[in-house]
Amino acid sequence: MPDVEMKPADNKDDKKKKDEKKEEKKEKKEEPPKPPPTPVQEIKYNVVLIERAVATMEPRFAHRALRTLTALRRRLDDVVLRNAVNEVFVKDTPTKQSLLSWLPDAPPAPATEAMEVDSASAAAPAPKPPAGPEPVPEVDMYLRLLLMHYFEASPSTHTKAIDLAHQTVEKMQALNRRSMDPIAAKVWYALERAYELGSELAEARPLFLAAQRTASLRHDHETQASLINRLLRSYLQYSLYDQADKLVSKTTFPASAGNPQFARYHYYLGRIKVVQLNYSAAHANLQQAIRRAPAATLAPGFYQAVHKLFVVVELLMGDIPDRGLFRHPVLEKALTPYFDIVKAVRTGSLSQFQSTLARHAAHFEADRTFTLIVRLRQNVIKTGIRRLSLSYSRISLRDICVKLHLDSEEDAEYIVGKAIRDGVIDGRIVHEKGWMECGGQKGGYGPEVGEVFERRIGYCLELHNQSVKAMRYPLNAHRKELAAAEGAREREKELAKEIQDGDHDDEDIGGEF
Amino acid sequence: MSLKSQYSELKAAFAAPDLPKCGRLLTQLKLGLIQAGLLFPQGELNPDDLVVAREILEIGAFWSIRTQDVPSFDRYFSQLQAFYTDYASLPPSPREYAIRGLHLIRLLTQNRIADFHTALESLPAAAVESPYIAHPVNLERWLMEGSYAKVWGARAEAPAAEYGYFVDSLMGTIRNEIASCEETAYESLPLKDAATLLFFTSQRELLVFAEQRGWEVNLTLGTITFAKKGEETMDIPKAKIIAASLLYARELEQIV
Repeated sequence: MPDVEMKPADNKDDKKKKDEKKEEKKEKKEEPPKPPPTPVQEIKYNVVLIERAVATMEPRFAHRALRTLTALRRRLDDVVLRNAVNEVFVKDTPTKQSLLSWLPDAPPAPATEAMEVDSASAAAPAPKPPAGPEPVPEVDMYLRLLLMHYFEASPSTHTKAIDLAHQTVEKMQALNRRSMDPIAAKVWYALERAYELGSELAEARPLFLAAQRTASLRHDHETQASLINRLLRSYLQYSLYDQADKLVSKTTFPASAGNPQFARYHYYLGRIKVVQLNYSAAHANLQQAIRRAPAATLAPGFYQAVHKLFVVVELLMGDIPDRGLFRHPVLEKALTPYFDIVKAVRTGSLSQFQSTLARHAAHFEADRTFTLIVRLRQNVIKTGIRRLSLSYSRISLRDICVKLHLDSEEDAEYIVGKAIRDGVIDGRIVHEKGWMECGGQKGGYGPEVGEVFERRIGYCLELHNQSVKAMRYPLNAHRKELAAAEGAREREKELAKEIQDGDHDDEDIGGEF
Repeated sequence: MSLKSQYSELKAAFAAPDLPKCGRLLTQLKLGLIQAGLLFPQGELNPDDLVVAREILEIGAFWSIRTQDVPSFDRYFSQLQAFYTDYASLPPSPREYAIRGLHLIRLLTQNRIADFHTALESLPAAAVESPYIAHPVNLERWLMEGSYAKVWGARAEAPAAEYGYFVDSLMGTIRNEIASCEETAYESLPLKDAATLLFFTSQRELLVFAEQRGWEVNLTLGTITFAKKGEETMDIPKAKIIAASLLYARELEQIV
């Protein structure tokens, strides 16, 4: 049952998370448009933003426009898109025609449509009327992006989305404008999504690889970040961990990429690392992914997916995840099978572990964590041995064998030997007597405490430095401050003069300040 | 076409089995494949040709194992991967899992566990059911748990004759693992028990092994004493702590 409910969230996770995060920010920033505007209005507002972004060379305006994408996507339809195109492109140009050609003919408009074609052919010779309000190409791309998302929403039109995406990408690459980068990154995302819906993601890979090369040559960081994630996703989809690992080692993820891209990148890295048994690195990556991910309620799918992997990694590292994690409203249901596994590992009961594994096998396979969880078997045994070593000062191998449901005493001896060597327990085996003697517990203080402390401080310091770097200062803001200071001084002087003149009450002075 | 006749000759020689002849034929066939552009396939090619090329390479992989040439097996395997992953539309090869299983075992004998898991992860879930894959998977699990006796017992259960060629090196890996466990887990062991634990049948082998690992053997008492490793010296990492403190000081300075 939880399976069925999980699925939709899982599929949505990726596309949702990135945009919704941005959206949330937007809502905090811009309080004015609280009553939701109509989609067309919103599109027009975004178009204005994009134009401003191009004019001022400030990509953050474009980012702001793109933040609304997710919310907008759900409200798109033929009419909205048609109206938007018509209102944005006042003049008829080939750009407008090509945009409109993707939309099915609207019922009431055939006559005007014909007229438009006529006037378009007249306007065609001058593709960019000098004084005309021909929107910048970025706007065209933005509208195309909306179109793609609209086509992807229903399975019947997704081939159309692929065609459109191809055309758009070609156009985009021909234009080669840096101000288009934020939109380009999204267009690539839409292209991937279109291919993924047709479950032919592998075919888009050469395209992504070529584009990735171009993007890195052009220092187009946004597109680079987006494309690296696209490629990783496509590799991991087909379990090509080797290739994914090579891609990661050969590319540098641009540091200026947005949080959502970073969150994904860390998630993919985490997945690669955990497969390669590099659990501590995977743990660090997943933690980053969680910290950078949007709020749980906004993008539950991603939040759940990351946490599933996170729980498994913690278990593989020999830690037990926090109990509170499993009570989180968003995670509670999704993590139920994992919670059962955690319980089994915690008690160190091999039989309970096996039965839980068998019960939830289908679920784990769907989450692609099955092979990882199978690896936990040895952790279960280790936990079991550790519990025994803590509670007994001397225990016979036979009893160990019985308590841990091991197959033979011989196995038990080897297993205990290995546990001692790996430092899981402190003890000795006395072979002649057939028992294990357990030493006292190790003191909890050593260099490793210092290391953990160091790591945490390092993290805090870096966080601080990053936030300082991320602060944005409005241009020429200090002038205003100077002016204000100047004014204050001015007032002070006046005040002093007035006081000197003696025609000023004390109350007024209080009021001035 | 000579390629075709060579191919059927190779099949015959492989079934015979005539290993030297196989080697000679494989060299010629590989040249032929390169000329036909089939050794490193790219783009659209005739599926039948690809299947033949794949089979030649598969035979080559088996042949390398039989002649105990592991680097050559690695080369064949990486060439085959192109066929297995990029041309998944070809009819599946009956030998694919056997070869992948051999590859897994090979990673295991070299203790490349991370690569082992990466390779395993890229297999479809159904593959684990195949005996060829299940064998190395079980071996790995037992090795990780420490159930060395089971690994020892599984020697005879190899699903294909080629697996046997890796057994010796696998046993070497296991013995070293066991020995390192014994060094820490026991203070001393009777010779006889040590021999059983390490799967040695004769005392002479054990003595040679003990000498390699530098164990103290007391023949009169019939025991092995393991040199106790010096108590862990708890050095305070001074340089590290100083460096860290300086870093904190500098960072704090920046903040305040």
